[in-house]
Amino acid sequence: MSAKKRIVVITGTSRGIGRVLAQHFLRQGDIVCGCSRKPATVRHRSYRHFMLDVVDEKAVVAMIRAVVKEHGRIDVLLNNAGIAAMNHALLTPASVARSIFDTNFHGTFLFCREGAKAMLRHKSGRIVNFATVATPLRLEGEAIYAASKAAVESFTQVLARELGQTGVTVNAVGPTPVPTDLIKSVPQEKMDALLARQAIRRFGTMKDIINVVDFFASPQSDFITGQVIYLGGVTG
Amino acid sequence: MGNRPAVSTTNQISLEKVRRVVIETMPRPVSSAGEIIFGPEGVLDSLDLVNFLADLEYRLGQEFDRELVLASEKAMSRSRSPFRDVNALAGYIMELLAV
Repeated sequence: MSAKKRIVVITGTSRGIGRVLAQHFLRQGDIVCGCSRKPATVRHRSYRHFMLDVVDEKAVVAMIRAVVKEHGRIDVLLNNAGIAAMNHALLTPASVARSIFDTNFHGTFLFCREGAKAMLRHKSGRIVNFATVATPLRLEGEAIYAASKAAVESFTQVLARELGQTGVTVNAVGPTPVPTDLIKSVPQEKMDALLARQAIRRFGTMKDIINVVDFFASPQSDFITGQVIYLGGVTG
Repeated sequence: MGNRPAVSTTNQISLEKVRRVVIETMPRPVSSAGEIIFGPEGVLDSLDLVNFLADLEYRLGQEFDRELVLASEKAMSRSRSPFRDVNALAGYIMELLAV
């Protein structure tokens, strides 16, 4: 995996962390296949964009098969696409809760299922899912978001066991708040209170996330699976 | 083609082709197309089946240029598993290809 360009699939590459991750792997010389509901914002000769919704099963299957057809394999899958909506649980419409679970959990599930099938063929692969510190911190106002990411964590750990003997690893990174579009509407006092609960009290940076993703995605990390690493000293 | 209707011939050829792809993709040889491949007396364990179905989807995609998901709701809700033997699996794949 290290001698040649890696084939990296990243969901949610039109903005925020996904876009930065795409640019990071492209700088490493890898080939990146990204997706989002919106047109590509990453421009690079080694980048290919798929415009799709991660909850659209047919579109996800078609994307993964297209990547395998073109490149022969998938080395790394980063399930970054996610949505959040801060609200008290009692004031959350069912449609919003369903939509959050669809994107955060079902989208992750679909890409894991199809990506892992491609990885099984080569008995090697790295899947990194995206969790959040909102789950272990039990953040008020983020009940649905935290629950959807708790589902991602649990799925990550069980899938890691199901794929344990196949050479495919499955892990998750749980970022602290990073100044992105996802949290721009969160009140400052909420953010300050959240940071106060971290061992290291600052916003996360893209570099912090990339560091953990690189670790999980490394060919040397073949004995590390089913792990969730939270940033900022938050513990589960 | 003689007097046989073209559509029957096409279906027959396709079923044979599908059966051949299934047998060629099997990780272990089967003595007949009716031999149990998955289940209590099957030749594949559950991890074998996962690998096999993943391989088979890929091979079917190459052969027929179709993106099939074999472990569909349709498959899972049946009282008789379409994965029990080669004949059942080939017939089930034909159904999916016809959609």
